[in-house]
Amino acid sequence: MNIILVLIPLSLILLAAGIWAFFWGVNHAQFDDLDTPALIPLADDPPPVIARREGDGAP
Amino acid sequence: MSRTCFHCGEAIPSNVALSARLNAGVQPVCCIGCQAAAEWIVTLGLGDYYRLRNVPAERAVEAADYSAWDRPQLQRLYVHNLADGGAEVCVLVEGLRCAACSWLIDRALRDLGGVRSVEVNPGARRVRIIWTRDDIALSGILHRLAQLGYLPHPCSAQALDALDQREARTALKRLVVAGLGMMQAMMYAVTLYAGAFEGIDPATRDFFRWIGLLVTTPVVVYAAQPFFVGAWRELRARTLGMDTTIALAIALIYLASFYETVTGGAQVYFDSASMFVFLLLGGRYLEMRTRRRAADVVDAFARLQPALALRRRMDGATETVGVHELEAGDVVVVAEGATMPADGTLLGKACEVDESLLTGESTPRARRRGEALIAGSMVRSGPVEMRVAHVGADTVLSSIVRLIERAQTERPHAAVLGDRIAARFVGGVLALTVLTAAAWLYVDPSRAFAASLAVLVVACPCAFALSVPVAYLRAASALARIGVLMPKSDALEKLARVDRIVFDKTGTLTRDRLELVGVDVAAGCSINECLRIAAALEHGSSHPFAAAVREAVSSERAIPKAESLQTIAGAGIEGRIAGRRYRIGRADFALALSAGATDDDNVVVLADERGALAHLRVRETLREEAATAIDGLRSQGLDIAMLSGDSDARARGIAMRLNITDFRARATPEAKLHALEQWRRQGAVVAMVGDGINDAPVLAGADVAIALGGGTQLAQSSADLVLASDRLDAIPAARALALTTLHVLKQNLYWAVAYNFASIPLAAFGFVPPWLAAIGMSASSLFVVLNSLRIVAQRPSTEAQAPAPTLAEAVPA
Repeated sequence: MNIILVLIPLSLILLAAGIWAFFWGVNHAQFDDLDTPALIPLADDPPPVIARREGDGAP
Repeated sequence: MSRTCFHCGEAIPSNVALSARLNAGVQPVCCIGCQAAAEWIVTLGLGDYYRLRNVPAERAVEAADYSAWDRPQLQRLYVHNLADGGAEVCVLVEGLRCAACSWLIDRALRDLGGVRSVEVNPGARRVRIIWTRDDIALSGILHRLAQLGYLPHPCSAQALDALDQREARTALKRLVVAGLGMMQAMMYAVTLYAGAFEGIDPATRDFFRWIGLLVTTPVVVYAAQPFFVGAWRELRARTLGMDTTIALAIALIYLASFYETVTGGAQVYFDSASMFVFLLLGGRYLEMRTRRRAADVVDAFARLQPALALRRRMDGATETVGVHELEAGDVVVVAEGATMPADGTLLGKACEVDESLLTGESTPRARRRGEALIAGSMVRSGPVEMRVAHVGADTVLSSIVRLIERAQTERPHAAVLGDRIAARFVGGVLALTVLTAAAWLYVDPSRAFAASLAVLVVACPCAFALSVPVAYLRAASALARIGVLMPKSDALEKLARVDRIVFDKTGTLTRDRLELVGVDVAAGCSINECLRIAAALEHGSSHPFAAAVREAVSSERAIPKAESLQTIAGAGIEGRIAGRRYRIGRADFALALSAGATDDDNVVVLADERGALAHLRVRETLREEAATAIDGLRSQGLDIAMLSGDSDARARGIAMRLNITDFRARATPEAKLHALEQWRRQGAVVAMVGDGINDAPVLAGADVAIALGGGTQLAQSSADLVLASDRLDAIPAARALALTTLHVLKQNLYWAVAYNFASIPLAAFGFVPPWLAAIGMSASSLFVVLNSLRIVAQRPSTEAQAPAPTLAEAVPA
């Protein structure tokens, strides 16, 4: 039974690591928008506005 | 001897000589912030705080400088001027969470001289303030808010976003900490329960209890923070709210378990504590999501307005300026895909604009030179140039945003009543808890704690307090999505009770134009020829009929040139084409060149010297969606009526086309009001639909006033509901929504009351363990929130009944 003296603190350390990672994710905007990123790969091409602005920029 | 600050207890620097005037005399303070806070607390009648406390307060933060808000350039964007020297502003307030906060803010601001009205909406965290400019500066009001500890923010898109983001992130973190902590605590609890049955040595048991304490502490200290902060607020404001019961329950469970752990007592409740926090936070998180979804619409409006604009200088070059620097008369250039920075008129060629966020209408609208453009609409074909007419708070967009904000700030009667009952209820629950504890201490002291805890937890009136605001917010957002704005929060309730709906004719059922439905030509004339002559005569006319004729002749090149045109007001037009004299207009006028004829409002006669060439039959253009809207309302069991100031023939024609049997023609505004009154006296609840501006007095006479939106007058409209989409078929949808909302609201309230009444006795008699109480309470809140999510608007079908084909389509040019 002494193994729990090792395993439980270990699980707590992992838990703390997990929470730290989650906080990092939240602070870095990983959870701000859960819907839009899923749609990004479905979009076709970059909007033509950008392409044209590049063309205009070069005299 | 060094003096210490009366408020915060810190040593006062020797070069500071500030003091606070309090009831008990003058006391030294260390800084302006503490001075303000101390004077403030005493003014509120809470001076006892200083006698009762045993720890000095936190050093108050000196309120920031808000004088920048008095600059006209800034105020123009956020402050709406009222006619009588007053001004109105909407402020986003940080830390505003509950009814007690709104009470505190309301009272504190009302005490300021010059502040006329304060409306606080804790749900939307907004405070709407109307004040008199001459008596107090805006900065003074904001300063007072900051003094209270509620940081005021400009109601702009950026501030809104940052605040929302911070709030959402913190809530998510708290939820996850509580969730993970709960899982761990439950795991250890299972071990402990098993140990209680199977036998466990005290050392292992204590080990698991200490581990349980370790994982529950962050849940209580960090995740449950909002409840403690809220309870502290309620305490300070001397009101009882939900946060008080929740915080009390959490603190009791946690401290009791802590004590048992340290002393090796009988039972720990760490699993209950963390589960309680998690479930409550889950409910709050959902509520926040719902609230934000509702607020999204307003945010979208606020975000519509760009911050910068491209202004054309006198020399023709363009410069980038802040939108707030624009003034009426400026010429700005708006690129394709960009949004209009201000209201104005289009210069240069025609363009297409997308006004969907303003009106709900997704198809782009064409705008011709000289026509109005609205700030916030998107240019679909550009770039365009426009001359600025209105900026900042005077734009249509701003007035729409203000309307929605007003609706959000005004709390419906039901919600106010709910709060009041909840506060009383909490008092009762606390008394009942004490009673339960006392009774059990007498009967069986070992069960006293669990039973009183269960009462406290199970009876929390969260569901009750949530039911009304969630349902209303949801309904307001659903309405906005179909283009219906609700300036008065009680409108929904009244709309659901309506059983007669009265339409104004002109401008409401019909558009302000005529359409050509047929041409009867005399022998030897061709339709096309007659139409061309008619179009030539009507060339410069602004009469609706002229537009109808021009529309019928699609190719303008074929129109001959008319000379010596003469307009005879109220009769018609005379002119010369290729040497021949023609007249067009009322029959008696046109045929005066030859012989007399019958008179009919709906027929226009084209004639030359020899006699009539053609009879052009016209009629008013119905709104495309009028028929579907009326059918929809009729199928909801409403009586339909129409009031018109127009002639009997015209009114009858429209009524017949729409199947309306109950109509009155030639009605003056007084007659219309009288008719409304008569219906109301017969017991009907009457809704009146009008175009808002002309019909304002008549609208005021109805139970529910529905105004067709669009235009700058929107802000002044006294309507209960505004159809910003300008589509009548939003009315049946809105009414259906109102019925659903009331239905859901009733369900929510019944549920909350039934749940509390059923569960409290069970808990008091000790049948409900604390963990089950936590599940029951959270489940009932969740039920209310999820039930409210059912309020969804049915979008009116965009395929309105096809209008009868007009001549423009029937006749080739």
